[in-house]
Amino acid sequence: MQVVQTVFQADEVSRVFEPARGTIEKLTDRLTGKRPAIVQAVDRVSLSLAQGETLGIVGESGCGKSTLARMITGILPVSGGTRRFRGEDYESFLARRRDALKVQMVFQDPMSSLNGRLKVGEIIGEGAVVHGIVPRSRMREHAAKMLERVGLAADSIDRYPHQFSGGQRQRIGIARALAVEPELLVCDEAVAALDVSVQAQIINLLMDIRQESGLSMIFISHDLGLIRHLCDRVAVMYLGRVVELAKTSELFGNPVHPYTQMLLAGMPRISTERRTFMPIKGEIPSPLNPPSGCHFHPRCDRATDHCRISRPDLREKGPSHLHACLNA
Amino acid sequence: MNRAAFAEFAGRFSESWVAVASLVVTVLFLACALFAPWLSPTNPYDLARLQLIDALKPMGSPQVKPGEEIRANFALTQGQLIPEANDTDFEVEACGANCFIVGLADSSAQLMSLQLRGLPRDAIVDGASKHPIQPWWTLNAPENNQARVRFENLPADARVEAIARTDNQPTGFIFQLGSDAFGRDMLSAILYGIRISVFVGVAAAGSAMLFGTGLGLLAAWRGGAIDAMIMRAVDFTLSFPAILVGLAILAILGSGVEKVILAVVLVQWCYYARTARSLALSELNKEYIEAARGMRLPAWRIMLRHVLPNCLPQIIVLFTLNIASAISLESSLSFLGVGLPLTQPSLGMLIANGYEYIFSQKYWISFGPGIVLLIMIVAMNLLGDRLRDLNNPRFES
Repeated sequence: MQVVQTVFQADEVSRVFEPARGTIEKLTDRLTGKRPAIVQAVDRVSLSLAQGETLGIVGESGCGKSTLARMITGILPVSGGTRRFRGEDYESFLARRRDALKVQMVFQDPMSSLNGRLKVGEIIGEGAVVHGIVPRSRMREHAAKMLERVGLAADSIDRYPHQFSGGQRQRIGIARALAVEPELLVCDEAVAALDVSVQAQIINLLMDIRQESGLSMIFISHDLGLIRHLCDRVAVMYLGRVVELAKTSELFGNPVHPYTQMLLAGMPRISTERRTFMPIKGEIPSPLNPPSGCHFHPRCDRATDHCRISRPDLREKGPSHLHACLNA
Repeated sequence: MNRAAFAEFAGRFSESWVAVASLVVTVLFLACALFAPWLSPTNPYDLARLQLIDALKPMGSPQVKPGEEIRANFALTQGQLIPEANDTDFEVEACGANCFIVGLADSSAQLMSLQLRGLPRDAIVDGASKHPIQPWWTLNAPENNQARVRFENLPADARVEAIARTDNQPTGFIFQLGSDAFGRDMLSAILYGIRISVFVGVAAAGSAMLFGTGLGLLAAWRGGAIDAMIMRAVDFTLSFPAILVGLAILAILGSGVEKVILAVVLVQWCYYARTARSLALSELNKEYIEAARGMRLPAWRIMLRHVLPNCLPQIIVLFTLNIASAISLESSLSFLGVGLPLTQPSLGMLIANGYEYIFSQKYWISFGPGIVLLIMIVAMNLLGDRLRDLNNPRFES
């Protein structure tokens, strides 16, 4: 049997955001003993990603998907837990800047993710040049090659981002990530801001790239159809926690967690003639003041007193199918 | 900025004729500042060329070359009148017995008078009037700059002194804007004053921009205690009136161009620091900065190559406005007498110099520099306002 190599591993990573406080406010807080309200954006999430695998992360807006993506790429530090790249701890991994390029990200908003003051060639080539992957004299050539790889004309290097459409800009963003030869590509809602027809093009591009270079990918989206199409495994997040993690077919065929079940029930399908969808009842709770116990209990049909008190940990149901429901 | 964006910007800019006019005026003033040595008719810094006779002349007065005196001594010996010490200014010709013609060698300029002294009492100088007591014969406006001297009896030995006086003469140069108390041409002084004022304004506002923007970016990047310290320093500086800070600094350091620049920098850096910090903070939240972090670029590179260029348009607008305010601050300080040295007058100092004469109807000394300063500052402010409006995305005309 082939030994599957783990590319990335997150072990109980958490991220807490504190509101920006001035020096004087901090001082008065300390004097009065008041604790500022904090947001637990990501709460003890554990993930791992094998070589060449694509992991999907789904969840509602504000569930911590993007924060998790930024922690995986090392743009944000973690508040707790550990991250590993090929077994190496992120502290030392990120310190070696050139190696740290192996984890790259494609951003959600193609309008703001490109620096409008730089030419496309510079945007794509800068990282490779700064880290010595490509000499400065060959930057344009390298950028042109990357543009062709993502299906844009090579002479686009001398144009500015605002001269491109949203889909083209997203291709530029992908070319920028590819230009530093990544091994793990994190796509944070990479197609959410695009038209459906353009979405399909970008998805096909990502799949082609994955096939060509054997990239491992983490694909974050709230679009279940996309996730199902693209991913080998899927993690479902709710309010900062992973509530279910399983192979794609397993998750879509046999969802265990009530939240996953509700999400899937709300998913449009061509085969059904349904005209209305059942929204998940209730509002997503404020992460400033999350519910006790299981975060999902206020919206859950099956909630018991036990759910209100104790926090459910991920538990196994069948091979490589994890969920966090006390009643399943 | 690429060509199309620039064309669009220029098009929007030129929608306002006031803005175009102020741009033209500003460019004219910058040209005056750059080319003052070639534009100005005289060099007002050349103190050796100043003459008191030209002082306080009203607008349009001619410059005057003051009258001169040329003296020479002659010895009358053995029937000959011979210049002493080989003096060549005068020439002596004989015109018969006991008759000499004394004349100026260079007869190009008409003499006001030619006076002969030390002649014997019975000597006759044609057309001259004798001093009632002294043996001085004075010939006014002598023909050909010559005097004919006839002696009844030629004395054996006498010393004769000739004094030729020329009149004050216009040099052909006109003080178009009058002259100041030192006889300095006000037009030249204003042109050089613009040069000094613009230089101080641009240098001071530029240094303040570099210093303030740097600190603002540092505050935005580091945050925390450094941010708090820099921003409280900004608040502290802003809580004093600019002119007071400038006066205090110059009172301690003394006057001088570099000290005025330092004073303006210490007054103005806080505007740039505050603006740069807030702009940088909003830029730092954008995804392209996260992308740069993902590229593991060094922090200084992210700040200077990604954040700074995106903040620059607003900072340049601030710079345009602050040049005008730096010029007016420098002029105020110079007016109060703590700014630039007297030998290199800026517009403010020229106004101050004229201030003591303004009530004796010699208005032109303050008037010219005052009008010029007013136009310059108004034009620069209008220009800066327009640039600021164009930079505001909510601005739709």
